[in-house]
Amino acid sequence: MSTTETIATGTDTTTGTETTTGTETTTGTETTTGTETTPADSSERTRGPRIGENAPRPDGVPKVNGEFAFGNDMWIEGMLFGRTLRSPHPYARIISIDISKALAMHGVHAVITADDVPGQKLYGLEHKDQPVFASEVVRFHGEPIAAVAADHPETARRACRAIEVEYDVHAPIVDAELSITAPPIHPDGNIFRHMFIRHGHPDSPESEGVVAVEGDYEIGMQDQAFLGPECALGIPLEDGGIELYVSTQWIHADREQTAACLGLDPEQVRMTMAGVGGAFGGREDISLQIHTALLTLHTGRPVKLQYSREESFFGHVHRHPAKMWYRHSARADGTLAKIEARLVFDGGAYASTSSAVLSNASCFAHGPYNVEHALIEGYSVRTNNPSCGAMRGFGAVQTCFAHEAQMDKLAAALGIDSIDLRLKNALKTGDRNITGQLLSGVVPVAELIERCVAHPLPAMGEVGEMMGRPGGAGRTADAHHIKRGFGFAIGWKNLMFSEGFDDYSTARVRIDEGQNGPVVTVHCACAEVGQGFVTLAQQIARTVLGLDEILLHPADTQVGSAGSTSASRQTWMSGGAVQQACEAVRTQIFASLAATHGVDPETLAIQDDHIVSVDGTFSIPVEDAVANKTFEATEVNRHVQTVRLDADGQGDAHVSFAFAAHRAVVDVDEELGLVRVIDITTTQDVGKLLNPRQALGQIEGGIAQGVGLAVMEEIIVTNGKVRNASFTDYLIPTTLDMPTVTIAALIEEPEPGAPFGAKGIGEPPTIASTAAVAAAIRNAIGRDITRVPVRPQDICL
Amino acid sequence: MSGVAFAYSRAADVADAVARGGAPGAAFVAGGTDLLQLWKAGRATPTELIDVYGLGLDGIGVDGDELSIGATARLSDVARHPFVVDQHPLIAEAVLASASGQIRNMATVGGNLLQRTRCPYFRTAGMACNKHRPGSGCGALDGEDRHAALFGAGSSCVATHPSDLAVALVALDATVEVSGARGVRRVGLSELYRLPGERPDVDTTLAAGELITRVLVPRAASIGRLATYVKVRDRASFEFALLSVAAVIRIDAGTIVHARLVCGGVAPAPWRLPAGEALLIGQKPERGVFTVAAAAAVEGAPPLPGNSFKVELLRRALVRTLTTIATGS
Ligand SMILES: Cc1cc2nc3c(=O)[nH]c(=O)nc-3n(C[C@H](O)[C@H](O)[C@H](O)COP(=O)(O)OP(=O)(O)OC[C@H]3O[C@@H](n4cnc5c(N)ncnc54)[C@H](O)[C@@H]3O)c2cc1C
Ligand code: SF4
Repeated sequence: MSTTETIATGTDTTTGTETTTGTETTTGTETTTGTETTPADSSERTRGPRIGENAPRPDGVPKVNGEFAFGNDMWIEGMLFGRTLRSPHPYARIISIDISKALAMHGVHAVITADDVPGQKLYGLEHKDQPVFASEVVRFHGEPIAAVAADHPETARRACRAIEVEYDVHAPIVDAELSITAPPIHPDGNIFRHMFIRHGHPDSPESEGVVAVEGDYEIGMQDQAFLGPECALGIPLEDGGIELYVSTQWIHADREQTAACLGLDPEQVRMTMAGVGGAFGGREDISLQIHTALLTLHTGRPVKLQYSREESFFGHVHRHPAKMWYRHSARADGTLAKIEARLVFDGGAYASTSSAVLSNASCFAHGPYNVEHALIEGYSVRTNNPSCGAMRGFGAVQTCFAHEAQMDKLAAALGIDSIDLRLKNALKTGDRNITGQLLSGVVPVAELIERCVAHPLPAMGEVGEMMGRPGGAGRTADAHHIKRGFGFAIGWKNLMFSEGFDDYSTARVRIDEGQNGPVVTVHCACAEVGQGFVTLAQQIARTVLGLDEILLHPADTQVGSAGSTSASRQTWMSGGAVQQACEAVRTQIFASLAATHGVDPETLAIQDDHIVSVDGTFSIPVEDAVANKTFEATEVNRHVQTVRLDADGQGDAHVSFAFAAHRAVVDVDEELGLVRVIDITTTQDVGKLLNPRQALGQIEGGIAQGVGLAVMEEIIVTNGKVRNASFTDYLIPTTLDMPTVTIAALIEEPEPGAPFGAKGIGEPPTIASTAAVAAAIRNAIGRDITRVPVRPQDICL
Repeated sequence: MSGVAFAYSRAADVADAVARGGAPGAAFVAGGTDLLQLWKAGRATPTELIDVYGLGLDGIGVDGDELSIGATARLSDVARHPFVVDQHPLIAEAVLASASGQIRNMATVGGNLLQRTRCPYFRTAGMACNKHRPGSGCGALDGEDRHAALFGAGSSCVATHPSDLAVALVALDATVEVSGARGVRRVGLSELYRLPGERPDVDTTLAAGELITRVLVPRAASIGRLATYVKVRDRASFEFALLSVAAVIRIDAGTIVHARLVCGGVAPAPWRLPAGEALLIGQKPERGVFTVAAAAAVEGAPPLPGNSFKVELLRRALVRTLTTIATGS
């Protein structure tokens, strides 16, 4: 890093960022980041990977070498350090806040509270119900009360301690079921959403089959546990606006919400992505964006705010804990007659995306199966627990755990093989789901099931060395203590945003003459959080344009919104926008050739990096055709319009669906309640493999999160207080805990309407892997498991 | 960190460490793997750090009839020391079940024995905790009590001691050698720890400034004896014990003549189960005997609502440990 005003963020080396700091403007950085790729500067040109080929991540090697600039590495001369003061109570009335001692401290530049929010006092992704700072009431343990900017992080920390807050502590409401009828803990009430899906005639006597099974299921609160804690850097602009560098999932939504609270026009808030160390849904909501911006404007100085690991647990939303009652009834031949369910999702203190999460949970509550009748009732509820929102799988994970347990139970009650039961009822293209939506895309449920279970099981063989056994290193389980179990599960969810949301992405593509020939610059605000847009955007541009030098501009608000990096949507939405912008540029190139070479542009195509006419009479390398010219196009990609579900939960709420099956093999030491997940074999419906290496990464990572939820990951909240806000106490699987991941099949059947026919692949690996592990544990011990994560006492007592 | 200014220096020798270690605010630091966590959480506020890592107290070897392990020996060195592996495998087993490879490369034996409880209330700044400040209350008593003690706790504190190594060492009748202002003394490891009583903030019987210099294990504790360590935890790769058992028995002419049953993760200190031990003596090493002894060993353990499952789990772990020893697998 240079010692001048250099900000290590998602900037590209060619254009640099222009960072106005009041004194001077510097450009460029020397640090590579997630959104940057450096074109080869040698004159020899290498052919970069196209669609369908393995494309290594440009940020992969820098990350491994410790050279990648994460948000936390941002630094600018003269910056102040921010810090948030948070509530120690889950529910309390604030009697007074005295900031005078903190403000008087040497080195403290600002102490701000709710009184200092010039614009809207509330924000929220779906529903604005969360105060920027609590002023009257605190509703969860860790809710922000004030923020400090100081000359040193330690000064800021001490200043926070010097703020005196007097509370009138109330008993928190921590049980979602009780909260439904409890006195409201927020002016907007305690129910984020209460919904029904009625399919067929669930009240009619004919809806009842001959065999029925019932179950209550519970899922604990999972954290996204991304490794790079939240960070933001704010820089005041001379026009009264602000420049914000943030590690986030959706800079335009951040900008809208931040500007509204600052009382600024969105254009006055310029945002740029900083290097992200994982997201998984936990960066979709605002965390420190508004606080950083307020401190920056308040002090007129650059301010950096970053969370510690502990604060990160309090600073972002988590996966909804849920309680689910299910009843399945079937005809004698196994046909699913009716599914009834009641879902209660604990949304915590503020709305976040609780409404959409519940909608998803309900829409996919029946699993990827046909059922004659269904009645799903869903609640997402406000409590004084930590807020919950988006996390990989978004509602579908919870219900998959329950519906797959039910399918196994039902098969046993019917005396039918559980795989046969699934195959008998499997959804296929042309069927309708329980919201009445026609499934017109690829629905390879039966094939996924068959190919997953057909894959040979890992050999029983010798039980591995100690580390490979339940209990791990040391001497706990010997071979004769171990029971092996097998479990299967399949899950599904939607791709893209749903229920009428205006969902789109924007991309600008430009061709300029560079030092060594033409350079294509792709400018898209798509947040790279690890999903692989950095490679994909280049692969698409190369494939469509037949050029190799592709530069990815930093993701910022100088281009239109790309929407959120969530809902497995960016390949389709932003990939599609890049494809369309490249095609628009291609049309311009053809038109320019028509002018210079008199060819009919309608007859031209790009093949093997050449522009050729269909009749074969004309051929020119693309490089030559664009030499010394500039082309530019901006395109917006929107998916088909969806609708909000009606009062009976009916409607075409979704765009497309993706499916994945998992078979888990576990070794269980039943006596001591210990589990070792040995293998997960999976099949997934991917549409088209765009970058096989990246797909493998998504599948392995998604399974790690699914396995974690199955056997160890849980935020322990007692009486509204978080008990394990650290990676010593919140357990995530390490590489040593990971099972082998075996991909039995990736089904490449192109999805109509999807760019290159590719479906999103980020979430499906997480949905059914948890359910499969739970099923395998049940199989090993011959008893029911109705709650995840499964703990020793759930197995052995 | 606490934000309070502090001085840091390396101790020149044991005498220097001991001379300065008793001052208010002084603290020894070895690997720092526990002290730094406590410091960050605001639960330790040293003003003078005395680094003992470089004192050369890291030797491992035979001293007369005893195995001597220096206080600053790193856990990873202990676990792979040929003599330890060969003669006292119980120690190696317990160490290998502790923490992760990276932490074992840094952590020392002395620091491990003196690490403080993992009680989440103790480890979080701002929470009521009698161990942090006597009289401020105990968050765990009516909160998260899954990790709480089954034995030895008082009304002031129900925290457990997290060390695996200490459990094995108590089963081997180990003693520690301590240097202090009043010279060198030896104390049985089980007497090193104290129960919370009225002073839950004080974990040990060490006087201010006393430095552990080494741990001594009688050779006879292992010779001719069978032992193993079983640990139950929520994650296989590394995690503190939900509970653990170290058992040592000696069999003579088909009957058990010596028995030590010590459990971890269930008491403020490594906890011996004398009732279980007594029922083993004079008996044949058979599952039926073990079952009876294990049942007696856990009898009367007064659980809290969230940790009652640990009584049965401990009983099973005792049976598992003893049968593993007796059958050799
Ligand atoms: C993620 C994680 C997982 C862990 N898992 C386990 C586990 O499974 N099992 C387990 O047993 N432990 C576990 N530990 C704890 C670890 O073993 C201890 O932190 C370590 O042994 C402490 O040794 P240290 O040298 O780093 O001590 P330090 O942190 O340096 O010191 C700890 C305390 O001992 C005092 N001290 C140190 N040396 C002496 C001495 N010679 N004389 C007097 N006082 C001294 C210090 O003043 C301080 O109070 C884990 C730790 C972490 C971070
Ligand atoms: S159990 Fe002990 S350490 Fe835990 S909160 Fe209570 S007093 Fe503190």
